[in-house]
Amino acid sequence: MSFVKNARLLAARGARLAQNRSYSDEMKLTFAAANKTFYDAAVVRQIDVPSFSGSFGILAKHVPTLAVLKPGVVQVVENDGKTLKFFVSSGSVTVNEDSSVQVLAEEAHNIEDIDANDARQLLAKYQSQLSSAGDDKAKAQAAIAVEVAEALVKAAE
Amino acid sequence: MKVWRDVGLTYIHYSNIAARVVREALRVELRADAAKRNISHVKFTPWVNGRPVPRKKKEPTSES
Repeated sequence: MSFVKNARLLAARGARLAQNRSYSDEMKLTFAAANKTFYDAAVVRQIDVPSFSGSFGILAKHVPTLAVLKPGVVQVVENDGKTLKFFVSSGSVTVNEDSSVQVLAEEAHNIEDIDANDARQLLAKYQSQLSSAGDDKAKAQAAIAVEVAEALVKAAE
Repeated sequence: MKVWRDVGLTYIHYSNIAARVVREALRVELRADAAKRNISHVKFTPWVNGRPVPRKKKEPTSES
């Protein structure tokens, strides 16, 4: 019986939360990195981000979320339908109750600024570094570099 | 789950490596400028009784 009661309580709470949240129909994106600010509270339609908890798309009224970025492509669909792709190294993404979104990266670049050939060379370089790494720490560091290089190659194709 | 966690690396380390690799993969024109971000400088000034205390000797900053 207590389960039924709990479920009812939870449902009531959920409904109340949904009512109270000041959801906005517009999504304001702030997307910045150490090297450049790409969007400053600009209204956009959709954002797709790669994170450690999986890649996900964000539309207005998304549930508040915090996630850690993983190396990959951030896709921004602007209000006129124009889609832009950026490569992010790492960082964080915050989705707030008021539908504002912050994507903060350590390094972010327009996908056209990534050199596909260099990315492939980097991948090979770090793969050999990984196989010749002496201790566990060096191995782990090389493995991170390989992961990033793989993402770069995939993105630049 | 993440191998680098087991050897004592943090997400900050991860992020540093990721950012460096991304900078290395940039178009040649952008790379030189981007490489400047590989190194960051931190300047420490000790304060005693509300006043900055000048360092007697320049200490080499450790690279991390």
